[in-house]
Amino acid sequence: MNLEYTVRYHARNQYETLVKSAVWQFLIQPENNDNQTVLDAHFSSSVDGRVDPTINGLGFEAIRYSVDIPFNEINFEASYKVIKEPINPFDLLHQERKKDMEVFNTLKFKADFEPYLRVTPLTQISDKSTFTFNAETSTFNQLQELNSWVYNYIEFQAGVTSVQTTASKVLSLGRGVCQDFTHLFCAICRANGIPSRYVSGYLHQGLGYSGDAQLHAWAESYLPKVGWVGFDPTNNLLTNQDHIKICHGKDYQDCAPLKGVIYAVGNGNNSTEHTVQVSAQQ
Amino acid sequence: MSTNTNTTHPIFSSYERKEGFFDEIFDEKGNPKEIYKKLFEIYGGHSIEDFINLNNKARASFFNQGITFQVYGDNQVKEKIFPFDLFPRIIHPSEWEIIEKGAIQRSKALNLFLHDIYHDKKIIKQGIVPAEMISSSENYLHQMMDLDPPGGIYNHVSGTDLIKHSDGKYYVLEDNIRCPSGVSYVVCNRTALKRALFGVFNHYKAHTVTNYAENLLEMMESVKPHGVDIPNCVVLTPGIYNSAYYEHSYLAKAMGVELVEGRDLFVENNFVYMKTITGPERVDVIYRRIDDQFIDPFEFKSDSSLGVPGLFSVYKQGNVCLVNAPGTGVADDKAIYTYMPDIIKYYLDEEPILNNVHTYHCSRPDELKYVLENIDKLVVKPVDEAGGYGVTIGNRLTKEEIKNVQEQIKASPRKYIAQPIMSLSLHATYIDDSKSFEPRHIDLRTFTLLGKDTEFVLKGGLTRVALQKGNLIVNSSQGGGSKDTWVLKK
Repeated sequence: MNLEYTVRYHARNQYETLVKSAVWQFLIQPENNDNQTVLDAHFSSSVDGRVDPTINGLGFEAIRYSVDIPFNEINFEASYKVIKEPINPFDLLHQERKKDMEVFNTLKFKADFEPYLRVTPLTQISDKSTFTFNAETSTFNQLQELNSWVYNYIEFQAGVTSVQTTASKVLSLGRGVCQDFTHLFCAICRANGIPSRYVSGYLHQGLGYSGDAQLHAWAESYLPKVGWVGFDPTNNLLTNQDHIKICHGKDYQDCAPLKGVIYAVGNGNNSTEHTVQVSAQQ
Repeated sequence: MSTNTNTTHPIFSSYERKEGFFDEIFDEKGNPKEIYKKLFEIYGGHSIEDFINLNNKARASFFNQGITFQVYGDNQVKEKIFPFDLFPRIIHPSEWEIIEKGAIQRSKALNLFLHDIYHDKKIIKQGIVPAEMISSSENYLHQMMDLDPPGGIYNHVSGTDLIKHSDGKYYVLEDNIRCPSGVSYVVCNRTALKRALFGVFNHYKAHTVTNYAENLLEMMESVKPHGVDIPNCVVLTPGIYNSAYYEHSYLAKAMGVELVEGRDLFVENNFVYMKTITGPERVDVIYRRIDDQFIDPFEFKSDSSLGVPGLFSVYKQGNVCLVNAPGTGVADDKAIYTYMPDIIKYYLDEEPILNNVHTYHCSRPDELKYVLENIDKLVVKPVDEAGGYGVTIGNRLTKEEIKNVQEQIKASPRKYIAQPIMSLSLHATYIDDSKSFEPRHIDLRTFTLLGKDTEFVLKGGLTRVALQKGNLIVNSSQGGGSKDTWVLKK
């Protein structure tokens, strides 16, 4: 059955010194894809400015907002109505890992999936033997095991890591939040030749999942003959109707929800708070 | 072994020809070569004092034109006058024809290579260039995938560095296709030489070099975004602290276009505008002299204040053209250089016109072994540093230094390539200390423009001189000078 979601995004930015002008780029709008459709989109700000719908470098819809009057605080509100279709428990071909490996090892495959096999600074791990892929079972089963492994390995804890924390660091810390789970998952997949991408999105609230009060992150890995399959290592889940996708990229850097350039008088501290509300109506 | 020349003039008394190097101006017997005879005749009529005066005059001309550059390193930034030399380099038309054809061939092949690796990646899939060449390059930009730059051009401006080896043949040392600099010096060298030695210049029929700017503008106009009638072109500079700022301002002035910094531009409605006193003005083609990572804080380095927020999204939507395209750096990596002969054959089905220097890849185990055992006979270069930084020349190293280089290579083999020590040709260079002309090593940077259905090679180029006796590194950042370079008309 289709689910209709209302997603509300709120960001509050405060600046110690007076800002004369500023421009931001938001990557917060759910994408339209095979199983989700955006019906309605609203964007507003507490300070008058200019809204420019645009795209980011990887082609996802973004909003650019520019302000040319002085301010110390600015609030942004966005809301989206999204229809999520049920994801059929896909008919996974439990292909042997050996057969997948043959595909993974072709030059054509390596070239086509290069961006999502690339080791970025955030998805670098020094110890590749942390999780070993078993050649006997299917890649899909292996990825599910990896999903559980990451879920068990990292203790969910906010405030110990930042968006710049590398997978390597997460591996030694053993604690973190959704982007850390996702970076580590992607890092291990890529180290084993399985294309994996970082996904930014929203998660249905009230089901007791970790990471639902903020923007969420999960991973998608590519399986030959199946396509991209979503794994949510923070919750040890396969992605489902509760996951509303915004965009994907190599790591957090490609998916940062908010980037800003501020022209201020002097230097001062600034702070940003995001809150997210996701509610479903059937 | 060295022999003095047959010229009796005192200004050539210290000119010792060296065995094993190609001498550009003297033949084996020590006589001036045909093309330089007239020059010797005229120079012979001058005294040492005349040359000292002329040299000072030429340097004053540079100083007055404000042509300086900065050297980075040692925790200091120094502003220096680019050392200029009174003795021009003369290139015969038949020799030039080969250089010109070869430079165009390389530029076109690199452009096709860039288009391919940002689209179908056929050359990778067919195993001609290893996948690691792109996957391990920081300059390979994901954002450029499947993007079609206006006019289909990536490397609009290429700087090809050539040397003449002891066999008398030209070899390409590297292709520079990010933001190659130096063209303003070509023009200034000509101006300075004409001022100092107008009489000499008049005896030769050399091609002009002042037409570079008009050709650059024509090329920029040819790659205008779709739907634009008369494009508005600008030069985007990182600002006055950049080592090539003089060049940026020269080019803007010579083209008659605005020189802007990032803060002079803004993005609105998915177009780029320039702030002017009469209101915003749309900008269509940007010759950006800012590195990829700094052009747009929303897409690349987020703390860059040199670029324009949102610029890349405008580019991606086809509403502005960036010259050169972002992501070209993947193809001028020194590791890609070694595949140039294959790249030329693959895309153009032609034999390379210009020679490549044989290269050993430290990433390949057997070649690594050879390199480690023969460091004293090789030049070792890091694959990703520009400007001659980090280059070691094997026959100059002590045992201790060789050991250090070996350790460095072993630590990260992918980072290094090695080449035989090439013998850069020698040319007469006025040396202050001896108040005479002495042989010094030179190279040649040519400038090639590639537009939509247009191509142009500047008939001339930057002859760089390694001013230190015996030094083989000619980069201005490593203390090199330069010469006016005359390409003779047929």
